[in-house]
Amino acid sequence: MKILGCFKIVPDLDLIAEEDWIADGQLQVDTSYAKLSWNCFDEGALEMMLKLSDLSEGFDVVYELNALTVGRQRHESFLKTLYALKFEHAVRVEAEEDQDIRFCPEIIAELVAGYIAGTSPQDVVVMGMQSSEGCNMKTPLLLAEALGWPCITEVTALEPVDEGHLKVTSEEDGRTAVQVVGVPCVLAVGNAPSSYLRVPTLKDKMKLGKKPIEHIVPDWEQLLEKEQNVELTELAAVEERRDAVLIEGGTPEEKARELYESYLKGRLEKI
Amino acid sequence: MAIISREQIVEGLVDILGSEQVVTDEQVLKESSLDRYRKYEQVCEVYTQPIPAAVVYVKSAEEVSEVLTFANDNEINVVPRTGQSAIEGGLETALKDSVVIDGSTMNKVIKVDEYNMQVTCQCGVPLQELDDMLRERGYTTGHSPQSKPLAQMGGLVATRSIGQFSTLYGGIEDMIVGMEAVFPNGKICRIKNVPRRAAGPDIRHIICGNEGALCYITEVTLKLFKWQPDNNRYIGYMLDDEYMKLGFDCLREVMVEGYKPSFARLYDAADAQQHFSAWLPEGKAILIWMAEGPANITPAIEAGIKEMMSKHPELEEVDPKLIEKWYGGLNWGPEQIAEEKEEIKATQNIGITTEVSGSWDNIYDIYKTACDRILEEVPDMTLMGGHSSHSYINGTNMYFVYYYNIVDCAPEEEINKYHDRINQIICEQVIKYGGSIVHHHGLGKARAKYVTQEYGSSYYMLKTLKQAFDPNGIMNMGTLIPLRK
Repeated sequence: MKILGCFKIVPDLDLIAEEDWIADGQLQVDTSYAKLSWNCFDEGALEMMLKLSDLSEGFDVVYELNALTVGRQRHESFLKTLYALKFEHAVRVEAEEDQDIRFCPEIIAELVAGYIAGTSPQDVVVMGMQSSEGCNMKTPLLLAEALGWPCITEVTALEPVDEGHLKVTSEEDGRTAVQVVGVPCVLAVGNAPSSYLRVPTLKDKMKLGKKPIEHIVPDWEQLLEKEQNVELTELAAVEERRDAVLIEGGTPEEKARELYESYLKGRLEKI
Repeated sequence: MAIISREQIVEGLVDILGSEQVVTDEQVLKESSLDRYRKYEQVCEVYTQPIPAAVVYVKSAEEVSEVLTFANDNEINVVPRTGQSAIEGGLETALKDSVVIDGSTMNKVIKVDEYNMQVTCQCGVPLQELDDMLRERGYTTGHSPQSKPLAQMGGLVATRSIGQFSTLYGGIEDMIVGMEAVFPNGKICRIKNVPRRAAGPDIRHIICGNEGALCYITEVTLKLFKWQPDNNRYIGYMLDDEYMKLGFDCLREVMVEGYKPSFARLYDAADAQQHFSAWLPEGKAILIWMAEGPANITPAIEAGIKEMMSKHPELEEVDPKLIEKWYGGLNWGPEQIAEEKEEIKATQNIGITTEVSGSWDNIYDIYKTACDRILEEVPDMTLMGGHSSHSYINGTNMYFVYYYNIVDCAPEEEINKYHDRINQIICEQVIKYGGSIVHHHGLGKARAKYVTQEYGSSYYMLKTLKQAFDPNGIMNMGTLIPLRK
């Protein structure tokens, strides 16, 4: 079964100082200094693929894990990491340095669909449900639509069944659904129990990390002209401050009493 | 080991401090039996060290004195602590029925003396809070270790801590003025605050760096400096990783010419990718300086360094704004530690550091041979690198940074299979080339086994200090001087 993991590399936004959350003339926030990391949902999706492969022993199925990112040259080290983790094939769709594609899920979906339909057929696509940049939450659904495949969202676990099926656990309206689904399908990973990708050893990086990465160079001008149907008009930081009260008291008991009497008792009585 | 029972120890402590200040909750005791040297055991909540009898919270030097007298009379091992950011085993309770004496509630800033440029505070004052308060007044301690959000004054002095701006301000040993400390027999000693004196040996250094093995630090006076961040200048260059030797030489050149930048750093390519992956190409090492101080000095330091570096065609200048932004996100606080714990649990991949120092003529050999040996001899390594972050006229430090996957290994075995093995290789290479096995985290218990090799003939002096001040052997046993097996 050929599984394509699609991922995005994002700046670590925790490293952006509060005073730097200012949009420039092109509605961009300067994140150029923040170190790069896997988009956390995609990271969980890639780890899920590896765990699925780990579980395949005893099942009559072989998983071929492939990876694709739409990104820049400096993102290639992440593809090399996936090679070191024994991914079979790694692809980078080249994004132009000055092109803002944060809010273009249609274009990303079309690029991935084009790769699957035209270059390398796959049985399953696994990807995060959203990224920290853009937060569109649309790419997996648009991709499924473009491919004509079903899509399961909020996926939290994958288990092997056979060459044509996967057992998929997902969250639905606060409940957990476990389904055996036929391929092909698109799986959008949500809050997986583990969103951390395992780390390859240096020996595996030396041995496997040097495989060539496939490059695809799309016609961005044409894509943007044809597909971009939203225009970013404003970008503002969300104010996330909360009021706080410092509870005074001579002892922990006094403070606890004050907390209970003034803040909790009334609320508890309403329950 | 204690000559009274665990129950009697607790009773005695309650008599002295009252039950509110004596904690015997099992989970607290377990968590107080180790520090971040046994990070994997901490993450797995597996406790291999003897569980202490109690953790006591002290509120004054007098209370410390009473507790130490009680411990001394009953031969109870005590482990002094404040901010709990230790990472070399200094907070491990190595003996049965130890008592952990926590000074974090002694957290008053006693006096900010702006005229004499010094600040006096109790041992439990958090450095971050102190320095934030001082900066609002236009001053700084000049001390800014990565552990700043966690560390408190007592521990910082006890471990001979050093901060990121050490090249200008020095280590904590250069910042301390006077101190108050309590010795195992209950004697409270105060060293007065004067700019300098030549009245015999500098006894501050019996206290500074004692790692809780000689006395308990209760009060510290530090120097103050003007805080002038608007004048800061940042300088950075990238270079191929194969030119690390040149990188050390560049650091040396700046020091030898007499410049005093506040930080001076050299990251190898592996370590640099952890910090600068957004813009630094793979395979590139990086050199960084920051100049701090009066407005007419920092541009001169910047110009001087740039002029010197322009003579090295192997260096490529980087945008100073990138360095400035990176510098803003350098410290480690409780959030990072919590996140790291989750990551270790999920990936079974763990990152550790070991810091050493060497002279200019041996630091590269220490760095290179230790890295090579570790990669050759230790399995499952996922990252091996390091950086120099504190330079002197005669040498610099090396901060080894390493990550490994924990494979087929019970939590209690991890320390032997990986961490101690790596530490051993680093210490062996440092001793072989003539450096120091400890630059600023303290010997703790992790590296105490190498103390005789580290000290050579001067070990006599350290041992004599221990015998003189702690004849009953109650102060943080196993730290500085290893336990006899």
